[in-house]
Amino acid sequence: MASTDARLEVRSLDKTFGSVRVLANVELSVLAGEIHGLAGQNGSGKSTLIKILTGLYTPDSGAEYRVNGERVRLPVRWPEVRAAGVAVVHQDLGLLDQLTVAENICVGGFPTTRVMGRIDRAERDRLTARTLDRLGVALEPNRLVASLSAPERAEVAIARAMRDHTEGAGLVILDESTRALSGDDLSRVHAMLRRITDDGSAAVMISHNLTELMSVTNRISILRDGQLAASGMRTADLSEEEIARRMLGGAVMQTVTRASKPPVPKAPTVTVNGLTGKQVKDVAFSLAGGEILGITGLPGNGYEELPYLLTGAQRAAGGTIRTPAGSMDLTKAGVVGCLRAGIVLVPERRDRDGLAFDLSMRDNISLPGLRKRGHRWFVGRTWQRQDAEAAVGDLGIRPRTPSTLVKQLSGGNQQKVLLAKWLAVGPTVLVLHEPTQAVDVGARQDILRALRRAADNGMAVILVSSETEDLSAACDRVLIYSAAAGAVETSDTTPDGLIDQIYAVELQPSGSPS
Amino acid sequence: MTLSEQSNHAQEWEFTVNGFDSPVQEPDLPGIDGTTAEQAPVADDPTGGRSPAPTLRDRVTSIGSRYALIGVWLVMAGIYGAIMPDKFLSVSTVQAIFGSQSALLFLAVAALCTFVVGEFDLSFASVMGLSATIVPVLTTLHHMNIAAACAIALLASLGCGLVNAFFIVKLGVPSLVVTLGTASLYLGLAELISSSTIVSVSDQTFSNLALHNVLGLPLSFYFGLALCIGFAYVLTWTPLGRHIVFVGANREVARLAGISVDRIRAGSYVAASLVAGMAGLLLVATVGGFDPTASSSYLLPALAAVFLGTAIVLPGQFNPMGTLLGIYFLETGILGLQLLGYTGWVQDAFYGAGLVVAVTVASVVRNRTQRA
Repeated sequence: MASTDARLEVRSLDKTFGSVRVLANVELSVLAGEIHGLAGQNGSGKSTLIKILTGLYTPDSGAEYRVNGERVRLPVRWPEVRAAGVAVVHQDLGLLDQLTVAENICVGGFPTTRVMGRIDRAERDRLTARTLDRLGVALEPNRLVASLSAPERAEVAIARAMRDHTEGAGLVILDESTRALSGDDLSRVHAMLRRITDDGSAAVMISHNLTELMSVTNRISILRDGQLAASGMRTADLSEEEIARRMLGGAVMQTVTRASKPPVPKAPTVTVNGLTGKQVKDVAFSLAGGEILGITGLPGNGYEELPYLLTGAQRAAGGTIRTPAGSMDLTKAGVVGCLRAGIVLVPERRDRDGLAFDLSMRDNISLPGLRKRGHRWFVGRTWQRQDAEAAVGDLGIRPRTPSTLVKQLSGGNQQKVLLAKWLAVGPTVLVLHEPTQAVDVGARQDILRALRRAADNGMAVILVSSETEDLSAACDRVLIYSAAAGAVETSDTTPDGLIDQIYAVELQPSGSPS
Repeated sequence: MTLSEQSNHAQEWEFTVNGFDSPVQEPDLPGIDGTTAEQAPVADDPTGGRSPAPTLRDRVTSIGSRYALIGVWLVMAGIYGAIMPDKFLSVSTVQAIFGSQSALLFLAVAALCTFVVGEFDLSFASVMGLSATIVPVLTTLHHMNIAAACAIALLASLGCGLVNAFFIVKLGVPSLVVTLGTASLYLGLAELISSSTIVSVSDQTFSNLALHNVLGLPLSFYFGLALCIGFAYVLTWTPLGRHIVFVGANREVARLAGISVDRIRAGSYVAASLVAGMAGLLLVATVGGFDPTASSSYLLPALAAVFLGTAIVLPGQFNPMGTLLGIYFLETGILGLQLLGYTGWVQDAFYGAGLVVAVTVASVVRNRTQRA
């Protein structure tokens, strides 16, 4: 495509943080008059891309960035790019409720009187009216934003972004700006976007809502692990399933050697009943020691809170869990109660919930065992060192020095430390949430193998994950949670089979994933 | 962001050493949609095949960065010694440095109590002032037994700590606001009971408890030493101490490990006030009386020492031995300047500049530290 037609063009964009490459050879070309969708899982690099385009991050050298065919200096100086016609609408819209529509639209570019430098109110209202008029939005400039409906708020935010655009030019980036909308409200904002782009402007729409992307975009680019899994494919040639597959799947993973199925089907040792949280309702399942049970579902449908409910980290509204240690009421048992019963949690966010980054590997691994293994007035260091060294050996943590600070480790090694920390207490039930998120393939194998070993030693492992390949590779059984049907066991545990079922379960009525 | 929102995300804004890292400093990660925030791994896997034992060079670097401040201290002392060999290089200088700072050291340890758990307390100096006012007022004006007066002063300090803990931990009010307020409140109470006049005690046995000379230094020096060693032992070698360190490093990680985070937070405020109360008793024993309005002049020196301490022994972490060294480091600097003839303003300027330099040094050291 001729670069003169492109409103925005990015080529050979790389970005590395330390030694981690988060964007590799990304290209993006947005044509005049189109709405270009950008899809990808959390952590796929979408936001990094936007942050580079808006100048928050510096890309690695070698990248090329053009707006309206003109090359832009890198790293991006935002005022230059903005002057060239690029605008961003963030997901929270950035509106101040206590101010008027005109004040919100003109912020950052108030027209002033020549002599006093005071804000020229009449001119401000005229500018606002002109902008709204161009977008075909009927709103009083003097209304308070607090009194606006959800779609009107989105319109105001978009109007602010488009304020300085000349008609039929410019580009607006919508960073999940429409996620608070649904149904008619969403269609209304979409119609407005269409009006804007029909004149020759362009839009980049980032959304988790695949239905929305399908219905409003002309072309779609998909990021997976920092690489393009689809580069400007025509939306007409795609389906929601195809987008999902490209977002999630792709690289085929070697299967973790699954031990031959447990020889004798064991009686359930862990039984969960009536588990209810903020979103999930009345979930029931059971598993035996030695088994790895996978749980997944459509992103945002609430299955993500299961690991926290199961382990007392988040108080349940109802539900019990029975373990060999006895039956427990999850509305009352906190973390302490669950730990005592041998139920431990490997949380998703290792930086926030999992590890103390400024302390050493050894300190982090020994934390849960301090009370049991140390004396009241003397914790001792030998067992701490031994535990850490054992973990280094079992999981292949590098570097091997237990005194290394966690913040110095790569993501995969941090995740291994987090797993080791909880394996060290010898739990009966191990609950994990996205244990392989943002880790490389090698670490992923090491982690899944460690889970298999733990299960073979009799542990009951619950793996809550959106990574269908992990689930397929590591789990003995997989449950798919949906609000309509609860947690249902699947027969097909191949990665593709799982994706099909996840989306089949809930795409019927509204089709909105979040 | 409103204050109440801040308290909900306490971890993000609490005044820990970590808090000095602006989030921008480290690229916040590949993960981005806020879900997989991950700090940039610095040493990925270059040491793949290396043996677990750190090399000699690593060790030397590690020790070098840990104890660099002691080197600076020696250089400073060397310079003073070279400029004024007669005045500075004498036993009395050593006695002046190590014998005079015990109340301040106790006060710094009080501050440390809250800092190690990631909390923040501004009221400890006022608690010290209150305790140092109660004792002379009760003994001199109300003719009470001095031991009883001390006990009451400590009880009052305990109460101060409980009030702080109640508002901050139980009700979730931001600690900065609460302790800023209670600092003024306790100061006001101290002025109330002293009727704004300075009273003093003259009880020789009481004073001897602090001033009795052992090996050339007053007993109070050894109290401070024992306090720091004891605190350091608890932090390093007991389960409670390790839990405290984790609450300070990452509150959510600690909670998910089954630690009663709130009990430890509340305990830190109570302990801080209690130690501050002891600082008050030491002050009365050494000086005889106290003007509560002078309390606030103790705040900055104590904070400066605590922050300076994060550059030594365990770089990047608040630690008692570092605080101990920090106190005497600062006092050496000030005494030298005073001997050179600079008085009055020097103290304020040195503590203030010292605080900024200390935090800068600590953050530089921390960024270069790879091992615990």
